[in-house]
Amino acid sequence: MNLRRRLVPYLYIAPAFALTLVFSFVSMGISLYASFHHFDAFAGSSAFVGFDNYRRALWAPDSYFWVTMRNTGLYVIMTVVGVIATALPLALLCQRAPRGQALFRTLYFLPSITPGVVIALVFYHIFGVWGQLLDKAHTALPALALLGIWAGAGYNMVIFLAGLSDIPQHFYDAAKVDGANRWQQFRHITIPMLRNTLVFVAVMTIIGSFQVFTSVYIMTLGGPERSTEVIAYTIFINAFAVAGQMGYASALAWLLFAAVFVFVLVQMRVFRSRKVYDE
Amino acid sequence: MAKRSFSTLLAYSGAVLLLAAVLLRAGITRAWVDDLTDTTPPRSIKLRVWDWWSPSYNEEYGAYFDDLERTFEANNPDIDLVYQNIPFGNYVQKLSTAMVGRTPPDVFQSSVYWAEGFYQRGMLRPLNDLLAENSRRPTHQRVTSDTFLPSAWRHNHTPSGTVFGIPQIIDAQCLIWNLDLLEHAAQDDAEIRALFVQRTDETVDYNRLRFDAVRDWDHFRRIAQKLTTHHPDGSIDQAGFVVSAYSSGAGMFSPWMAANGGRYQDAYGTKAHFAAANGVEAMQFIARLYWEDGVCPPFRRQISDVELFQEGKVACMVAGTWSGKDIVRNTLGWDHFAKTAFPPGPRGQEQKTMTWGNMLVITQRCTNVEAAWRYIQFVCSLEGNLLRHKHLGYNGPRLDFYATPAWSQTLANRPYLSNVKEICLAGDKLRHTEIIATNHQANPIIETILLRYPDIVAGKGPYASVAAALAQAEHNVDNVYRRYNQQVALWLAQRGETP
Repeated sequence: MNLRRRLVPYLYIAPAFALTLVFSFVSMGISLYASFHHFDAFAGSSAFVGFDNYRRALWAPDSYFWVTMRNTGLYVIMTVVGVIATALPLALLCQRAPRGQALFRTLYFLPSITPGVVIALVFYHIFGVWGQLLDKAHTALPALALLGIWAGAGYNMVIFLAGLSDIPQHFYDAAKVDGANRWQQFRHITIPMLRNTLVFVAVMTIIGSFQVFTSVYIMTLGGPERSTEVIAYTIFINAFAVAGQMGYASALAWLLFAAVFVFVLVQMRVFRSRKVYDE
Repeated sequence: MAKRSFSTLLAYSGAVLLLAAVLLRAGITRAWVDDLTDTTPPRSIKLRVWDWWSPSYNEEYGAYFDDLERTFEANNPDIDLVYQNIPFGNYVQKLSTAMVGRTPPDVFQSSVYWAEGFYQRGMLRPLNDLLAENSRRPTHQRVTSDTFLPSAWRHNHTPSGTVFGIPQIIDAQCLIWNLDLLEHAAQDDAEIRALFVQRTDETVDYNRLRFDAVRDWDHFRRIAQKLTTHHPDGSIDQAGFVVSAYSSGAGMFSPWMAANGGRYQDAYGTKAHFAAANGVEAMQFIARLYWEDGVCPPFRRQISDVELFQEGKVACMVAGTWSGKDIVRNTLGWDHFAKTAFPPGPRGQEQKTMTWGNMLVITQRCTNVEAAWRYIQFVCSLEGNLLRHKHLGYNGPRLDFYATPAWSQTLANRPYLSNVKEICLAGDKLRHTEIIATNHQANPIIETILLRYPDIVAGKGPYASVAAALAQAEHNVDNVYRRYNQQVALWLAQRGETP
């Protein structure tokens, strides 16, 4: 009976675990295997090549890995800063709205449930009107980041709203009694108390931004002059549009994984979660 | 209470009806329902055909597919044609997946973009044995090489002669001219007037341009300059020509280079040749039209060449021979334009362009080759060509098509098609090896040349010269070819064949 009781939770999670195992971990395993092989999607694996695919990505003269990583990194920085700088104020404003909070939440959340292709097509024409932002190498990537911020701000605003609602009101009451103004309350209560939410939003936005693809594929195809060619786009081209390069594309994907992993690890170390107040 | 029960009943009934409608008319369930209600005798062969053309494009394509299916099935009562539409952008992935999953179509239309690659992967059935049998049929039913324009029969076979596809259409890149603008300019300019066809009574036919109307690049430049007008502030009001910089890369470069005696790649897909002097001159010619001659509107990603042309803002653009019917459709009937090939450059000998013929192919896993071949023979016969021409306005890849009354009637009704046959005949073979991969390597460099030409010429650009930029692009494309040929060797080895 005791054993049965212990097994029941595992049975409950078994379907989800099986799906994750098959569609995430097995796929990742195949991808890792492919990255060490010459691998063609049509014909399958043909030869073990060791680290050749990685070497080619990192050091071959015709590799654009570093260019794409630079572009991706810039995009990530712009998007993360932009999303936090937009979503947090929106959340604060929404929280203080005396009426229509649900309406504003819904409106700001709408971009998150709109298909990326639709957003990209609409912004493609908007950016054409706004000073031809996609036509110049120095404005195209910021324009894509602007789209990313617009699309991601609403979702993260909801997360910040949840975080804000967790901050006990008596902290603010006590601060008011001590004579703290709005800015001081924000600086010394809201920000520290939102630390975990901030880290969560930053980490999720970084992971999402590293994988930016749809807007590039729809709007710029990596141009002009490779200024918007991001790593996910290069992986896609090599995996699905070039014969026999699935292994190389897999190596690029694992390099991307490594970059994201390191980035997030550093961030988690720097902003390590800690208890900031005693209950 | 009764009122509530009634509304609940109404809601459930609506939901059930909606579900029934979806089951009856959508997705795979539609086919089941159709099978249940179909009273016609079952056909023994189900022939699956894949195409990126679709009845849902517009009513013309709908009528074409209806007519094609009706006519073919009437002549072949044992075959049930099943069309499946596959988007152009997903063709390679979906076909590869279907081949690996052992569920490929029997027949499909293959773009020249992928045909060579599909064959080298072993996905296509060689057709030489079927062609040998077909060669005994009457000319209008034959689909052998002698019945096609030579420029249509280029992408469908290997250099050693193995045929893997039969041309269904023929397309070529061409210069399309706005005859409203040319006719207006011709009133005061004898050089522009001389571009038009002269009738036997020496009057000018303002509906037709001579095939060789533009003599050479200098002549083209001069014509473009004459057709360019400016606003008082110096910006271009009407452009003589339009150059597209973004992502199109080799699209415009290749035909200008062909007119200068150059070519993009070799026949075997082992070496790129576009950085030779012919290519460098072609690139410089295009860039100078924009930067020095000032005959082009500003580079704009969001505004296509054809949009500018249709608005009457541009006198000449590069497009495909197929695009005439789209222009007529988009402009609600305006057809006062004409097509020519590309005039020769300093190293060229004659009017040139790039030509290609997308084809019908049979997959290696086709379960009924005889039925598939019957379908291909019909679609690629003279009757099939005329059917496509009737509904879709395509000119055919067959020689006998151009001798039909239908084509003569079309030329009388639509003068903009008058040079199309000559343009198609003047075409070199469009590049054919790993096009997407080569685009990925070369297009950004071509884009850089066009966008930063003044910097490059001044020695301040990312490349020392146009020649250096093209050499870099060619080197990168050669790497693509090298890797691709290694892959081809592996495919051959897997099949036990020798290269």
